[in-house]
Amino acid sequence: MSEELQNVQKKFHDEVVTIKTLQEAEQLKVKYLGRTGIVSELMKVIPKLPVGDRASYGKQINSLKDEISRILTEHIDKLSIGKKPAGKREVFDPTLPGKMYNPGKKHPITQTIEDIKDVFSRLGFEVAYGPEVELEYYNFDALNIPSDHPSRTDFDTFYIKDDILLRSQTSTVQIRIMEKQKPPIRIIAPGIVYRPDTVDARHSFMFHQVEGLLVDEGVSFADLKGTLNQFIKSYFGKNIEMRLRPSFFPFTEPSAEVDISCSLCSGKGCSVCSYSGWVEILGAGMVDPNVFEAVHYDAEKYTGFAFGLGVERVTMLKYGINDIRLFYENDLRFLSQF
Amino acid sequence: MKISYNWLKDYICFELSPKMLADKLTGVGLVVASIESVEDDYCIEIEVTANRPDCLGIVGIAREVAALTKGNIQFPATDISGSSGDISQLVKVEVKESILCPEYTARVVRNITVKPSPEWLQKRLKCIGLRPVNNVVDVTNYVMMETGQPLHAFDLEKVSGRQIRVRRAENGEEIVAINGAKRVLFHDMLVIADEKRPVAIAGVMGGKDTEVTDSTKNILIECAQFETRQVRRTSKALGVASDSSYRFERGTDPLGLDYASKRTAKLISEIAGGEICKGVVDIGTARNEAKKVVLRVDRLQKILGVEINSDVILDILARLQFKILNHVDNFIDIEIPSFRGDVSREIDLIEEVSRIYDYNNIPTKTSVHIRGSKKSKHEIVENFIRDSLVGLGFYEAKTFSIVNPGFLKDANFWSGEEAVEIANPLRQEESILRTSLLPSLVKAKLHNANHGNERVKLFEIAKVYLKGKKLPDEKNCLSLLDFTDFFEVKGIVQLLLKNLKIRAKCEWVEFNETRLFNGEKAAKILLEGKTVGYLGEASKELGFKTPCTLLELDVDVLVRKADFDKKYCLPSPYPMILRDFAIVVDEEKTWASIENCINELKIPLLKEVNYFDSYRGKQIQEGKKSIAFNVSFQSHDRTLKSEEVDNASAIILDALNKKLGAELRKQ
Repeated sequence: MSEELQNVQKKFHDEVVTIKTLQEAEQLKVKYLGRTGIVSELMKVIPKLPVGDRASYGKQINSLKDEISRILTEHIDKLSIGKKPAGKREVFDPTLPGKMYNPGKKHPITQTIEDIKDVFSRLGFEVAYGPEVELEYYNFDALNIPSDHPSRTDFDTFYIKDDILLRSQTSTVQIRIMEKQKPPIRIIAPGIVYRPDTVDARHSFMFHQVEGLLVDEGVSFADLKGTLNQFIKSYFGKNIEMRLRPSFFPFTEPSAEVDISCSLCSGKGCSVCSYSGWVEILGAGMVDPNVFEAVHYDAEKYTGFAFGLGVERVTMLKYGINDIRLFYENDLRFLSQF
Repeated sequence: MKISYNWLKDYICFELSPKMLADKLTGVGLVVASIESVEDDYCIEIEVTANRPDCLGIVGIAREVAALTKGNIQFPATDISGSSGDISQLVKVEVKESILCPEYTARVVRNITVKPSPEWLQKRLKCIGLRPVNNVVDVTNYVMMETGQPLHAFDLEKVSGRQIRVRRAENGEEIVAINGAKRVLFHDMLVIADEKRPVAIAGVMGGKDTEVTDSTKNILIECAQFETRQVRRTSKALGVASDSSYRFERGTDPLGLDYASKRTAKLISEIAGGEICKGVVDIGTARNEAKKVVLRVDRLQKILGVEINSDVILDILARLQFKILNHVDNFIDIEIPSFRGDVSREIDLIEEVSRIYDYNNIPTKTSVHIRGSKKSKHEIVENFIRDSLVGLGFYEAKTFSIVNPGFLKDANFWSGEEAVEIANPLRQEESILRTSLLPSLVKAKLHNANHGNERVKLFEIAKVYLKGKKLPDEKNCLSLLDFTDFFEVKGIVQLLLKNLKIRAKCEWVEFNETRLFNGEKAAKILLEGKTVGYLGEASKELGFKTPCTLLELDVDVLVRKADFDKKYCLPSPYPMILRDFAIVVDEEKTWASIENCINELKIPLLKEVNYFDSYRGKQIQEGKKSIAFNVSFQSHDRTLKSEEVDNASAIILDALNKKLGAELRKQ
């Protein structure tokens, strides 16, 4: 190293040991490494040197510069800990918001269907699908719905042609699966259904249902209750009670409407449960022997149960949504809440 | 169906408050919707399911209460003794349509005094929401509400020729109903007519001309049975509904006519005076044999999953007025009463027993066998797509599959065929099944933009409906909308394809066949030569203020091609060497052609070719562009020598030059 550089080096080391404050360290940094500092001045000499010497001189200056820079950085770091320049005190604020990431969300209807699938798949149910545009046979005839039943009129069902319609219930999937498969059967069929209802806060011409079906030897109404109870406790909560009321569906017998205790008022009575303490949640029953006949199952050997629930209804109940139209507007202020 | 609490107590004695009664009824399937106190009585509104028309009379409800409380039912007496004249001399009845009217009965009461009903009767009717009219009409209503059997009273003197004809209407015949509505009738409707004209729409409503008024002296009491579908059709077609049509549509008790008719005649003579004429006109087809059903006790226990013993079963059925014919061991022979048209099979009886036994007393078992379940490939792929897109910042939308034909014209990517139409749409705006999901997503974006949010990232997985052979072809699609450009969304497609391990050759071909996209930046996506999707920047015509890119992909193809077989590959322990290239080519040369040119060389050590960027500017000649990319080389068994990589690079440059006229960029 040239004498000149050695002098600079020595001088720096002398000065650096005297540093006591951050301010002094910063000043020293400007003095040596600043734009018009000592090191820069040394650099200006390079072009004047003989060509052969330039490279080695340059390297020497660079290594000196690195050395000074490293030592000063260490000093500055040490002096900086817990101590900011006077008048510019900075305090670390861990309560400032973190960097926001913006993932999206699944639609609440999808979330409900996934939750329901989740519970039932743990009980051994597999997901099945069927067409939305269906033959009248699957939507009505095979489900033991008489040819003069009011639900068949075009006030209650969308038709494409005489015997082709938009399914008005996911029960169609029961028939399609039983036609193809022999018992035992354990399926859950989520999907879209259609009914010509004028749209308002409670009605939509398109909505989602989940249908369940279990057929095996020795399946009883008590098993239906057990299965639904498992579902209700795990989906709505352990404290939720279940109540069954006799009802009427052409494709099940005995048929039941299933109520759950109102989670909003804990059964005391409120506007959501019409002051009854109970909220209707799904329809269910033992598969009607006529349905088994339609799919050529031996109704003496096999018994089974089926149930169906409205996904929008369950979702509205669970989250306190008061207007079914919100599901189909796709307003991000709505979607982002779930 | 509204009932009065006090009225019900006429038939059955029970010790239940209205609230307790309501809970009990709800528990057997007669859901009580409301209880309202009316003076010293309560109006209880019951939702009766379509299969239980027997409960559309208070007597039917009383039977249920009897089964519940083990009380006894008492029915009012209907002993009448005709005192004057012979009905067959007074009125002629002819039933021309015996299928549509299986039975028609008529009674006559003469010399009555029409006036307001006594207070007790008015009170009962008012309690259940009926408006008192006069003592005759009120009694017919009262008996209907009591028995479930509709009745009608004609002013006999206004029935032309004292002749009743149950016939089909003539096309164009007119009638003014009691409620004042004038209706034109057609041949498929059934009417009650006199010699000249229709005097009632059968089962639906009586006519104004023959109604009972203050001056009426002699009346004819009609008590009939009408075919359910006929009544429903006519009521719907004419837009006229009544308490009568409501009951006839659901079916009345075929053996209940005589009782209801006598009860009406007796009450009218008691309240309005007058004499009941001797006899009854009863025109009916053959009576139905009573249905008999065998119930097996073990079958009942198997279906319900509970050991109900036969004494309990017999007791419940008897209280519901099923007739026990015989009981030997496991077998119970039962005769079904005529008012229970809904019961005809063993399973129906099992339901009856379980209803009264109470569903909530049946145990809650979980004795079904354990079984594993598996997710289908379809579910796995759909979930994967959803999860990926949500992670990338997209919200999932749900839109209607029934859409407006006008809005869809430009989005028929998948099929040249017309969309599937709905024969009975609610509105023109929702009259066809969609052939693309994109227009709905565009609508959703506009909705958000109108509410001040332009930065919208949405996707939907749903079906499109393409004309098929018998049923339409329902194709699962993914649609996506982003506020970024073509290449950002293309990156999403590539990410999905990569992570679904779809190795089929994917090509991106220019596409400008729809006005949804702006003509410049749009492409059709091909997998092994077959269309799998469309991607493009939105056309200005869609009215967005900010840029927007649209994508629609065929999910079914992705499901078929996806591969979830995973195998671990040992990474090479030797270093990878990267070489950067910047070449100048004609503007028309695509990246795909450069990439193919390199890949076709099949250089064994070559790992990957990665595009950096394109440059057009001062240093590049007009009509040319500079493309920068790098190529990585690596071996699994040794460290590569720099000459090897240099050689490979030279081969690449040579090929690019010969095939595409590419030159290495100088500056």
